[in-house]
Amino acid sequence: MSPRLPRRIASIGLIIVTLSCVAAGAELDDVQRRGELVWAADQEGGGPHVFPDPADPRRISGFEVELTELIAGELGVKGRFLQGQWDRLPLLLGQSADCVINGIELTPERRRDYSCSRPYFGYALQLLGRRGAAPASFAELADPGPSGPWRVGVLTGSAAEMEMRARSVRGEVQVEVIGYDGTLDSLEQLQSGVLDAAVMDDCIFAFYADRYAKLRAVDRPFAGGFYTVLTSKATPGLAAAIDAALGTLITDGRLKALYDRWDLAGRQQMLILRDAAEVPPASQRTLVELIRQTLPLLLSSAGMTIVLACASFPIAIAIGLAVAIGRLHGPVWLAPFLTGYVEVLRGTPLMLQLYAIFFLLPKVGLVLPALLAAILGLALNYSAYESEIYRAGLKAVPLGQFEAALSLGLSKWQALRHVLVPQAVRIVMPPVTSDFIALFKDTSVCSAITVIELTKRYSVLALSTGRIVELAVVTALLYLCMSWPLALVSRWFEARLERPAGTTP
Amino acid sequence: MIQVESLTKHRSGVPVLDAVSMAGEEGGVTALVGPSGSGKSTLLRCLNGLDCFEAGAVSIAGHRLAPGSNPGGVLEALRRDVGMVFQQFNLFPHLSVLDNVTLAPRTVLKTPAAEARSRAVDLLDRVGLKSFAAARPATLSGGQQQRVAIARALAMQPRVMLFDEPTSALDPKMTAEVLDVIVDLAKAGQTMVVVTHDHGFAKRAATWVVELAAGKVARQGTAAEML
Ligand SMILES: Nc1ncnc2c1ncn2[C@@H]1O[C@H](COP(=O)(O)OP(=O)(O)OP(=O)(O)O)[C@@H](O)[C@H]1O
Ligand SMILES: [Mg+2]
Repeated sequence: MSPRLPRRIASIGLIIVTLSCVAAGAELDDVQRRGELVWAADQEGGGPHVFPDPADPRRISGFEVELTELIAGELGVKGRFLQGQWDRLPLLLGQSADCVINGIELTPERRRDYSCSRPYFGYALQLLGRRGAAPASFAELADPGPSGPWRVGVLTGSAAEMEMRARSVRGEVQVEVIGYDGTLDSLEQLQSGVLDAAVMDDCIFAFYADRYAKLRAVDRPFAGGFYTVLTSKATPGLAAAIDAALGTLITDGRLKALYDRWDLAGRQQMLILRDAAEVPPASQRTLVELIRQTLPLLLSSAGMTIVLACASFPIAIAIGLAVAIGRLHGPVWLAPFLTGYVEVLRGTPLMLQLYAIFFLLPKVGLVLPALLAAILGLALNYSAYESEIYRAGLKAVPLGQFEAALSLGLSKWQALRHVLVPQAVRIVMPPVTSDFIALFKDTSVCSAITVIELTKRYSVLALSTGRIVELAVVTALLYLCMSWPLALVSRWFEARLERPAGTTP
Repeated sequence: MIQVESLTKHRSGVPVLDAVSMAGEEGGVTALVGPSGSGKSTLLRCLNGLDCFEAGAVSIAGHRLAPGSNPGGVLEALRRDVGMVFQQFNLFPHLSVLDNVTLAPRTVLKTPAAEARSRAVDLLDRVGLKSFAAARPATLSGGQQQRVAIARALAMQPRVMLFDEPTSALDPKMTAEVLDVIVDLAKAGQTMVVVTHDHGFAKRAATWVVELAAGKVARQGTAAEML
């Protein structure tokens, strides 16, 4: 061991200690000393909870923004907003956030894993459809729609999703539940005809009903529950203080006034909150039980990851090779277009390209199922990288090879097909294989457009069971099982190339 | 069979070929000699259109090349009748020796596989390499590779064969194997143009010798007159 190492470990330790002191997720007295209550929410979740202020999108607005100010005021501090992805907000507790206030529904699982405040709002689940289109009633969901199961959009990780999945599993409704990262996404997709219906909290639809004039509420709300403020179980003092603050706000009428200002039926809310029932915490599962229950789901999502990667990569290679050949040997006028194609696809994030395919194409009348959109997006994105690899590969074949082929009377295309491309393909095998491994991991981005692959499934299961570490290990093992064989193949290709050219093993 | 009329070519403003005229008759072996950089390779590459030229004309094996770039169809038709052997062999490393020889007949002439194969085996036999048909080019010696390259060009039954210093990458023993094959071809009446530094070989095989110097024809005549 180098004599410097202990000192280095000590200094890293010091940094970690310092960081954890600075980090939020603290007990009440820390919060008060800091003068700030860090609260996590997702402004993509939308109104009326938390959303970018239309007058100044740098600021956030929403009834929960005002509620948090009131709670923080009761604690004698100010609120500081922390942006997070909605279904992963609870993970920020004890790390960078003191509490989560963002339409978090009170469930037995959350009672088990976190400290849940007394309810501050009663929500109701509302089915939405397009005007003049089926389904016309909730009861119609009991039978399949005109073209198979009804396609129903929900916010990933929300009570709407749990409720619809549970009813679907029990066979009460014939639906395909499609999870989105934002509530507005499912309204968009319902409006453009990709979805048959959506389910969300009624207050959300009431808030956006004018913007989505084509949409309507189908029947009365069919289920409901309560919003709660989440805190870490490690900060009971803070939890008690928040509970007390909510109590004060309810008794002194400030909460009712707040809801009335937001058109959220203050009086009705107060009556609902008065009679809120206790939700018992869910029981903890054993590890064996956990794995038995989650492994089939994780395996089938790993299957989706394989489908995404294996379907998109051959297309990426075919397009990439065509683009590379076009740039090197095609007509002169074509080259700038192909260069533009490559630069645009390499220069913009894959996530953005997937969004464009999935959310923008339906606006011009081109509706692609999520899986096809995902495969297409991955294929186009990777085709840009593959074309650069193939371009380098084609250039690496000595010019004498091309001249020898031409001298034999082969046309340019025959020379490419029989002499240049086969040699280039061998040259680029190692980088292409490692790109395939990278693609395997990039498939996780597809969850942004509702395709549930392994990473998404992990995050959903980890949150619903609260077993973040155990499931992470299982998921990582599954990824390894997929990428390890590829790494071996890649190494085999490399070894083969390192042997003097042409020798057969 | 071969007619070159005041061929002129520049490279980055410098004349590489300056009004070069020469001729080669059917069945004749023309040796191109001259100091390094005098334009021998460039002239040879103009004969099968691998290089283009600015002025003059080339007629070869019934095909005609004009100044500037020629249409792909003209070039392909010409190259079917004009074979070329390079100093560095340029065998296709991803194909077996046999497939190197059958590739052009099969893709260009659409010769059926079985026929192309049996003719290729005959050609490999002729250059003494029948037993290497299944080998990869990289496992062969330089002299063997160059003989495969000759067989590969012959598979198209060219009317003219062009050789660019076919033995200068080889040691004396391998040089002898390759030259023997070329001399045999000459005896069989194959029209050829050979760029060479080897005066012994030129004396032995050439019917006509053209000497280039600085892109111009310095002298030409029979081998006996010239060397
Ligand atoms: N690709 C090229 N780009 C620019 N100049 C070139 C190129 N190839 C050859 N030249 C130049 O053209 C001239 C003629 O070259 P060429 O290869 O025809 O000569 P050579 O007689 O075959 O010489 P050597 O005996 O060395 O092969 C030389 O001055 C050379 O530097
Ligand atoms: Mg030369």
